[in-house]
Amino acid sequence: MDRIESLIMPRVKNLLLITVPPVLFLVVFVYDIVRATVNLELLWLDLTRESFIIVAFVLVYLLIERSRSNIKRATTKDIGRLLIVCAVVLSFVGVLSAFGFADTTSQENEQPRYSAMGIFLSMILAVGVGIVSIRALLTIKDLILFKRKKGTKRNYTIYVILLLGSMVFMLPFLSMESALFGTLFFSLSVLAIVANSFRQSWIVYLSRKEKIYVIVYSAFLFIAFVLLNVLFFEKTFTNKALLAFSQPLHRFTQLNAIFGAVYFGMAFVSTLFHLPTAEVFERKQYEITSLHNLSRLVTQVFDFNDLVNTVTQMTLEVCGAKSAWLELITKDGDKPPLVEVVSARYITKDRIENISTGDLRDLIIESKKYLLIDEVSADRRTRHVKERKLLKGSLLSVPLLSQGNLIGMLYAIKEFEYGFDQDDIDVLTSFADHVTIAIENSKLIAKSIERERLEQEMMVAQAMQKRLLPQGLPTSESLDMVAVSESSQEVGGDYYDFVQLSKDKVGIVVGDVSGKGVSAAFYMAEVKGIFLSLSRMCSSPKDLLIRANETLIGSLEKKAFISLIYAILDSKDGTLHIARAGHCPVIYMSGEHTELVRPSGLGLGLANGEIFERSTEERLLTLHEGDVCILYTDGVTESRDQSGEEFGYDRLVAVAQRLRKNNANEIKNSILQEVRNHIGEPTYGDDMTLVVIKWLGKQGERP
Amino acid sequence: MADFKINHREGEGVSVIELKGYLDAHTAPELETAFQRLLNDKKFNIIVNCRDLAYISSAGLGVFMAYIEDVRKNKGDIKLTNMSAKVYNVFDLLGFPLLYEIYKEEKEALTKFKTIQRA
Repeated sequence: MDRIESLIMPRVKNLLLITVPPVLFLVVFVYDIVRATVNLELLWLDLTRESFIIVAFVLVYLLIERSRSNIKRATTKDIGRLLIVCAVVLSFVGVLSAFGFADTTSQENEQPRYSAMGIFLSMILAVGVGIVSIRALLTIKDLILFKRKKGTKRNYTIYVILLLGSMVFMLPFLSMESALFGTLFFSLSVLAIVANSFRQSWIVYLSRKEKIYVIVYSAFLFIAFVLLNVLFFEKTFTNKALLAFSQPLHRFTQLNAIFGAVYFGMAFVSTLFHLPTAEVFERKQYEITSLHNLSRLVTQVFDFNDLVNTVTQMTLEVCGAKSAWLELITKDGDKPPLVEVVSARYITKDRIENISTGDLRDLIIESKKYLLIDEVSADRRTRHVKERKLLKGSLLSVPLLSQGNLIGMLYAIKEFEYGFDQDDIDVLTSFADHVTIAIENSKLIAKSIERERLEQEMMVAQAMQKRLLPQGLPTSESLDMVAVSESSQEVGGDYYDFVQLSKDKVGIVVGDVSGKGVSAAFYMAEVKGIFLSLSRMCSSPKDLLIRANETLIGSLEKKAFISLIYAILDSKDGTLHIARAGHCPVIYMSGEHTELVRPSGLGLGLANGEIFERSTEERLLTLHEGDVCILYTDGVTESRDQSGEEFGYDRLVAVAQRLRKNNANEIKNSILQEVRNHIGEPTYGDDMTLVVIKWLGKQGERP
Repeated sequence: MADFKINHREGEGVSVIELKGYLDAHTAPELETAFQRLLNDKKFNIIVNCRDLAYISSAGLGVFMAYIEDVRKNKGDIKLTNMSAKVYNVFDLLGFPLLYEIYKEEKEALTKFKTIQRA
């Protein structure tokens, strides 16, 4: 029900507003005709007539107000429309007066009696003038209340009350004495009009163009309302017609006409005075909107080029410059900072390089403050600019400062000298702050996108590397062997592998690629390939290392090398052949005897074939039941505790010795545990690889 | 943790680089820069004094490998001196003593450079 009501009610209201006043006016018209012919002198009928008129005008007021409800701040246009209404009605009044005057010239007595035509004309005239008054009052009301201050609303209300008061005393039933009060209220109303006419704050917010319009409009409106006043005070047809139609309405229109004349007269004068400041105000407003537009910068941080182009465009906008450009500084270590023009508007890069160079640029970079050159063609600081005589005008540069660091400069050029005032400097400086934030954000986003991409790549490399490590261990009755490799980063440089060379022989490799990351993973893949192919061709570990070095030295970059241990375990003989390429020594424990087995040998990729071959040795260990060999990478011995002390060989050997009687897995776990305890935190500084081999005795010899 | 510093001295046709702290994958680029600068300045007689070098990783060792070839091509050398036992052990494990001249004292390396220059 409510919905239907809310849908229907406004339409019903509109219908009422549109239909009721004409009906009421028609009734009044009929009554006037009757009165003119029959001469009725009944007060209550006159009062009913007046109340009909009042109700009709109240409805007209509401109708006009309703039609204006969607107008917001369109002050100039509204005044223009009022002028049109005034012009139409006034010319109408003029035409009617001509007719009416002709009709009433013969009737100069106090109680004019009109013909039906005369009554009709006077009513049309009264309604027309009444509508203009209402329309004028509403416009003036909006103008007065444009910017509300203390008392604005109150003063206006006082005027309305006085207006209504002076109308009440014009009601027909009142005696002559009350006319005195009527005059009093009239005078007070005029005072209120004057007081209200000082409320002209809306003018300040007009643009220069709008102000010019307002000057013209208000001048015409002033004339129109003065004319209306003249009509009311002289014994014109309008005056008589209105007085005859309704005295309160006469008072209403008269007062409003005074209000209109005074208010628009004042508006004319104050707009005229405001005209010189219009430009300044307009620019201020423009600056404000431009700074609001800075939100545009925030949305463009995803595309750096868009961002910098917006920056230069907005630089032109905020200070009204002819051309602008943006320079960004990139710092790379100790090298001198690199200054790059990233966006330019209405100026060629050649010209920019001509201006922004040498001492001028150094001056800006060193001072980290704005630089203003009022006369480019005459200033000492721009003497380096070629053909600078051609470059008339002024230049302003503001720094982009991020936490005190200069990240770039914003330049603006105006084609006339002394083009930048303090406001320009302030606005551009504050603009520069926003630009800095936007640029920094843009960089951060780009960085995080790049980092994500790298992380993805690292994930791929990590997965690849995991597959390079052996998935299972060779099993043999005479061997108890375990291996583990832990990586400190996504991709490590450690490598271990096994290959079953024959029924009895197993090749074991433990290595460490210098460096870490993706390149280490690639080298590791290479090493695996070399190891798998060479292990079947080379019968001795030394031989394998020599040939591996030959292959690798050509493919490794200069600073990269690989340390590696290669051992061949023969489970039939119980022998272990070991060759070492710069790698950590093997811990060999046999009974009470412990030895760091360290045959001489260079890291792979360090030296060419001859030196490598000369320096590489091979060791042969003959294993006894219960012997333990531990192969590992430097991540184990070089793991550091909080104070920076390394785990070291002594600790490693101590643990190994203590546990040599346990099985391989227990030895491995204990070593890992000890290393972790040493580090203290559950993170490893380096990659760690451990291979523990326990010899259980020759095949068939064991009990 | 990894605190690393490089000090550079010039004397009698020999450039001396003093290393201090931890030379690992993170700090290696600093040493690279130092070497690169010497090479750019055509200074090929280089002594690296490791008196205050606390630790060197494989990445650190790689830096020496990266420049030794160029230095020797220009009839110069990189000689290492004043290593602690621990640091020497790392060099030694990889076989660096076969490839580089390593001296106990800087003076020895200086004398060596001088005798070559005179010859």
